[in-house]
This record gives sequence, C-alpha cells and structure tokens, in this order.
Amino acid sequence: MNTKNRFLPALSAAAVTALLLAACAPAAPAAPAAPAATEAPAPAPTEAPTPTEAPAPTEAPAATEAPAPTASAMMKVEAPNCDYGGKMKAIEAVDELTVKFTLCSPDPAFPYKIAGDSFAILDADYLNETGGDSNKISENPVGTGPYKLKEWKRGESITFEAFADYWGEKAKTPTAVLRWSKEAAQRLLELQSGNADGMSNVGPDDFETVEKDADLKLIEVPAANIFYIGFNNTIPPFDDDRVRLAFAYGIDRQRIVDDYYPRGSVVATSFVPTSFAVGASPNVPWHEYNPEKAKELLKEAGKENLEVTLTYRDVVRGYLPNPGVVAQEIQAQLKEIGVNVKIEVKESGAFLDSVTAGKEAFYLLGWGADYPDATNFLDYHFGPENKQYGKPYDDIVALLKEGASTADLAKRQAAYDKVNELLKKYVPMIPVAHGGSALAFRADVEGAHANPVSALVFAVMAPPRDTFVYVQNAEPISLNCADESDGETFTACAQIYETLLRFKLGTAEVEPALAESYESNADLTEWTFKLRPGVKFHNGATLDANDVVATMAAQWDAKNPNHKGRTGSFEYWTAYFGSFLNAQ
Amino acid sequence: MRESIPAPGMGATAREASRLRVQSPFARTMRRLLHNRSAQIGLAIISLLVLVAIFADAIAPYAYDQQIRQSGLRRRSPPCIHLLGCDSNKPQLIMGLDGNFRDLFSRVVYGSRLSLQIGFLTTGAAILIGTLLGAAAGYAGGWADNVIMRAMDVLLAFPSLLLAIAIVSVLGPGLINTLLAVAIVSIPIYARVVRSSVLSVKEMDYIAASRALGASPLRILFVRVLPNALTPVIVVGTLGIATAILDAAGLSFLGLGAQPPTPEWGLMLGEERNSVFNAPHLVFFPGIAIMVTVLGFNLLGDGLRDALDPRRKA
Repeated sequence: MNTKNRFLPALSAAAVTALLLAACAPAAPAAPAAPAATEAPAPAPTEAPTPTEAPAPTEAPAATEAPAPTASAMMKVEAPNCDYGGKMKAIEAVDELTVKFTLCSPDPAFPYKIAGDSFAILDADYLNETGGDSNKISENPVGTGPYKLKEWKRGESITFEAFADYWGEKAKTPTAVLRWSKEAAQRLLELQSGNADGMSNVGPDDFETVEKDADLKLIEVPAANIFYIGFNNTIPPFDDDRVRLAFAYGIDRQRIVDDYYPRGSVVATSFVPTSFAVGASPNVPWHEYNPEKAKELLKEAGKENLEVTLTYRDVVRGYLPNPGVVAQEIQAQLKEIGVNVKIEVKESGAFLDSVTAGKEAFYLLGWGADYPDATNFLDYHFGPENKQYGKPYDDIVALLKEGASTADLAKRQAAYDKVNELLKKYVPMIPVAHGGSALAFRADVEGAHANPVSALVFAVMAPPRDTFVYVQNAEPISLNCADESDGETFTACAQIYETLLRFKLGTAEVEPALAESYESNADLTEWTFKLRPGVKFHNGATLDANDVVATMAAQWDAKNPNHKGRTGSFEYWTAYFGSFLNAQ
Repeated sequence: MRESIPAPGMGATAREASRLRVQSPFARTMRRLLHNRSAQIGLAIISLLVLVAIFADAIAPYAYDQQIRQSGLRRRSPPCIHLLGCDSNKPQLIMGLDGNFRDLFSRVVYGSRLSLQIGFLTTGAAILIGTLLGAAAGYAGGWADNVIMRAMDVLLAFPSLLLAIAIVSVLGPGLINTLLAVAIVSIPIYARVVRSSVLSVKEMDYIAASRALGASPLRILFVRVLPNALTPVIVVGTLGIATAILDAAGLSFLGLGAQPPTPEWGLMLGEERNSVFNAPHLVFFPGIAIMVTVLGFNLLGDGLRDALDPRRKA
C-alpha cells in the first residue's frame, strides 16, 4: 500500500513463471503424515461455538497418539453467494490441520497475498479475549514467531526476546531491539558509533560514506517500486487533458533521476517495473521531455501563466528518497514552461487520506510492491474503486480485468501493452522513477540481508553481541498488523507473528511457514493449506486450523465480534479480496 | 526629563549656553549608546545586514531560485572561491551549491531581506497591539485591567514557540501565518511592560496637574502618560526582534513557516539537516547568518538598555 516501504527484486521472468506453475501444484513436499485428525471427523460433542484448546501442558503432540478427543468444532465461514462485492467465498477448517480457502474467481497471486504480514495467524482464544482490539493486542501480542515482545517503551524502543518454544530454527540472538529515528543522518550516526547494528533507508548521499567505512556494510535493495506525479482529472486545471499532457512533456525525468536518486535507480518507462514478468511495456516508452511542445499545449488550452499547488508528504521512501528537493526540482522545471508551482507539505496520514479520497489535484506519491505481479501495481491504482486520479478510465478498467483473468503471460502482456498506451494518452500520472535504496549494517553482523517485498527477519541476525539493535525511520503504529499497512509497523509484527506462507530471505518467492504445504485446484479458486503440527503460540496454545479461520474471519466478516482492529479498515484485506462479508 | 528643555523666554545666548550645559535626552542617550562597546558592535552588524538586504540584487550573483547547471558540477558542491585557489574554470560559488543546484550565497543574501522583514514587522505589530492593551489596562485599572491582563497571562503560560506552532497548525503553514503567530505570542510581553510603566507614570504629579486642568482621560493617556512610558518598550522591542527572527526561523525549520523555494534561513537549515556530515556548508552558512543577526539585535538591545538607564549617569 502507499504507506509501505518495501521493494521487489529484479525478478526474472523465469522466477515468476515458476511461481505461477507452483500455484498449480504443491510447492513443497506434502505433509508426510497429517496426524490422525483426518480420521477423527470432529464429532462436535454438543455445542462448542468457539474452539476450546486442550491445554495439555508439556505433552508433546506425539503423532502416534490420537490427539485427545478434540472438543473443537471445525469452523467454517462462508458467503451466501459471490454478489457481496468480495472475492472470498469460504474459509473452512477441513480438519485440525487443514484449511481450505474458496475464492469466487481465479487468483494466481493468492500464495503471495496470504504471505503478507497483515495475514499473520493469531490464536483464536486470544483473539476472542482481546476482541481483535489493536490496542489490547499491542499490550501483549501473542504470535508464533521466533521473538516475543518484552517491552514497548512508547516513543523510544521495542525490545524482543527469543521465544524458547519456537518450532523452527531459534533466534540467533537472545534479544533484539527496534528503535527509530526520522533523520537518516542520525540513524547513520548511531550505526557508526556502534549503538545500532543495522539501519533502514541509507540517505542517498551516504551510500559512499557507508561503503568507505570498514566497520559497515551496505546492502542494496533492488528498485521495484514506482515514484509518480499524480493528477486528479476532476479538479481544474487538470480536468483538461492537454494540461496533464503538457506537464508530461514539461518534466525531465532523466534529470530528476540523475540528480536526486541514488545508485540503482532507473527512469520509469511504464508504471510497472521492467523486472516484472508482465506489465511494463518497453516498446511503449513514456513521452520524451519536450518543453516547447509543453508550452504549445498550454497555449492551446488557454492555460498560460498557470498557478498550481503541488502537495507531498515529507516521508523518505525507497521510491522517493529526497521528497523536498525533488518537489523543488519539479517546481523549477515547470517554471520553465510557464507554470508557477506552490509547494505544500502535508502531514503523512492526512495526505494519504486526502489522496485516497480524491481531494489532491497534483501530488507526489509512489508505490512499493507487495508481491511481484502487475496486478499489485495496476489494479490497485487504475481499478474502478480508486478515486485518487479522479474519474476512473473505463477502457483501462476493462483491459485490467482482461489482464488479470488469465495466467497466459503473452495474453496478459498484450492487455497491459494496451493499458500502457492508454496511460500515456490520458496521463493520469507521470511515472518518474524506480528508486534504488539500501540498508546498512555493522560489518560483523552475520545474516545481514535485505528483503525485497517483506520485512527484515531479526531471527537470522547474528552480531557477536547478545543484542541486535535495528534503527528504522518511524515508530510502529500498533502490534496488530491485520489492520495496518505501514512498512515500519510490519518490521515489528514480522518478528512476533507468522503467516501461512512467507517470503524466502532476500527474495520475493514464497515458501512454507505455518503451512507445511499447500495446493490449489486446477482453476485456482480453491487453495488448501496443510498446517505444521506442534506449532506453539507465545501463550502456550497450539496452532490448529480453527486459529487460521478465526484470524481470517475477524478481518473478512464485518459482523464478526473480533472485526475491530485499530480503525477497522483492514486495508490489505479490502485491497486483495474486495469488500467485507456482511458489510453495512 | 522635561526639565532639560530650555524655557521659551530665554535669550539666544542663554539658550546656546544651556545647550552646552544640558543636552537633550535624545542626544544624551545617543552619546551613551555610541560609547557602549556592545551597542557599537550590534549597530555595525545591523547596519551591514540592512545594507545587504537593500542591495541584495546587486550583491547576489544569481537569483535565489536559479539553478546553476554545468557539467561536472554536482549538487551540494562545496564552496569555490577563485581567490583562494579554486579552479577558475568553475563558477565562483562563495558558499557552495545547495541541494537543488542553487547558489547558497545568493540565497543567504536574499534571506537577509526576509529575516529583517520578519523581525521588524512582527515586533512592530506586537508593540502596537501590546502597547495599546497594556496602556488601557494600566490606565483604566479595575475590571478592564483584570480582563486584559488575565488574557495576557493565559498567552504567557504557553512556551512561546509551542504556542506559535499551535497557531500555525490552525492557520496552516506559510510565511504570513508565521508572522501572525510570532506577533501574537509576543504581544503579552509588551503589554506587561507598558502596563507596569503606565502604572508608575500615572501617579506622577504632572499627570495630576493635567487632570486638574481638565484634560480628557484619552488626552492624558496618549499625550502625557504613554510618551513617558515607552522607554522600556524600546529596549524590550530591540531584544524582541532577535527572538522573533529566531522563532520564525524555528517554525520554518519545522516546515511550518516559509515554503520552498523561499530563501528563508531556517527553511534552508531544515531542508539540508540530513547533509550535516557530507555537505556541512549547507547548514553552516544559514546557521551563521541566523546567529549573527540575532547577536546583532541582542548586543544593540543590551547597549540601549544601558544607555537608557536613568540611574546611570553619563
């Protein structure tokens, strides 16, 4: 989502093809022997509306023993039909360790979506206790991750301690500390002085400083994001197509990237990064810089000596590492074609809300990928629901639907080529750059890595000290990521919680996590996940299929008592799966 | 102080003699001021600043928003002065380039205009309003005094910069709103100063005499009381200009004041705060400019206070 700070790697076409194929077949060896749960068809003794976990202290769930007559009824949430506006049809706990998702339409990207940090699995009982309230969950978060929360000193730091009963490889460092500082210079100072072991978003001018320092190392994150200059086609003067086109001719994108972006950044030819299998169209390059033509167009439109206001938020992102100076550069460039630009900085949250509501006429914004597919870029921005560019373009909407309905790469690309032609014609935005960025670590930190689309994993970090300290740009908003969309918040959640599938370290490919294996039916509408047996939550409960259903239902079903979160918007759910069940 | 004015009936020679013997208060103050070391330095700095501000167009080699594009010239280039051995093929950049390829020296020069305007305008407005409120409160007394001064106390209860931030947040960022905010937060200072000197002046015998002669309260206040109560305001006002410049720079630093590409010193500092290690000149020069300006007004204010102090004989 807009607020995120994540990037995609240069994914080869092969990788994506493989992933799409993987969608049709089990990606990992199927669960060797799903515990006898399948044999015990859950008799459901009387009425057990909520799953009651048998605490069974210390008893390891030996696979041979029949799991003590589980009293838990297998949960199932189902939409009566597919007309409610969402994409999800049903979520069902088939047996104790099997969950099945049924979708209304095929979705080749489902494994990526479910690997997002927003879909981390919570214990069903714990969820009921807290009522899904982000405030309560943030006090005492319970997940299955390698770290559990020790202390959150608001405004200062979050301390994690290793979770002794973690199912996988235990955290390499007993204590991890997450801190934050808005200023890149201050983060670097902390790293140089040895107060921190790692930092996010190295300042664009500090790349060399870090590389020259023998005590530090730089890890570059590949550019798989987009920085664009957005317009709203309902607000004058941008309701005139010629004005938007004139701006497209009047902005020298090469100069912006050469002068203000760090190494590894490229000028955008299309909205979607070229590293993706489909979506970018190198054969449909963006308008060439041509200030004369821009002036002519403005003259033709009778809009000489135009006065406009450019809004942005002063937040550093991989796609826009220098918001202030880039805004002033655009101001200077537009002055050359006779447009006077007033710059207005807005508070980040207010700015995003205002853009989403379609109230900003001319603004700077960007997008970092959640998963390596064109739908994550194009469908969100140019779909029928998005108001940020004003009135949606019906022909683009139709083409996007065509592009997302098949797994045939050539057919998809043909549709996206047409989309890019239309984007070039209508200019709802000017794609400027795919920005490169980097993390920095102390040189002695083993396991230092950068993840293209997911949060950093603290558990593999092994500095020769018993504490790993990481400094990022901002404080997490809560520790319940179901209702968050902000990259800084995900950094904290990712240490505490886990998802069914996760992204492999340093890549944008998914691998099994809480699910040992998964498979789908031929038309990609039914996805079945086999859960890993014996996974413990931080509160001692054991993971079962009902936990997964309860977690998902809390987001999906607006009438669910746990559908609370922080604001109740569950942005990722609606972005990926459409409307809530029982909405209104 | 009225005793020093020569009586009208004196002959020309007598008047001459009297001028030699007794100086006018203005001349006496000026003489004291010019002999005060800190006031000398302060005056020199401020005169220099005023000259720079007036002749900014002639001094600055470039416009404040002009980008200097030349191959091999990177943004945030360090200063290049030909006299000091910088390659003469490169353009002369006394303070280097800023983050947007603009000449920092030109921006600092144009910035002096803004800072002086901010200082004089806000302080002038605050003195005008503060004096009227303080005089009314001190002269009228009673409930009017209570109402006005309690309102001033409320304003004073907030730290000035915090209150200014609150006001700007409500009005929206921008230079004009910053001026308003800084002016509003400095009103109570002047109101209190004026009120206390009005309180002491209105007990003087000549006020009683004026009243006995039938002068209206307004005439007494504006013609008899206020002119004699303004001395402390001059001192506080001079020091207040320094505070106003600093507050406005602080607001701009936070992004609430002047908006880009305005060459406001605080804004220039704030924009380049992350370059403090790799391009220190970008924060050094605007910072020095703010410091020197504030120092100038503070030194002058100190000197004025000494010169106007009635207890100190020449």
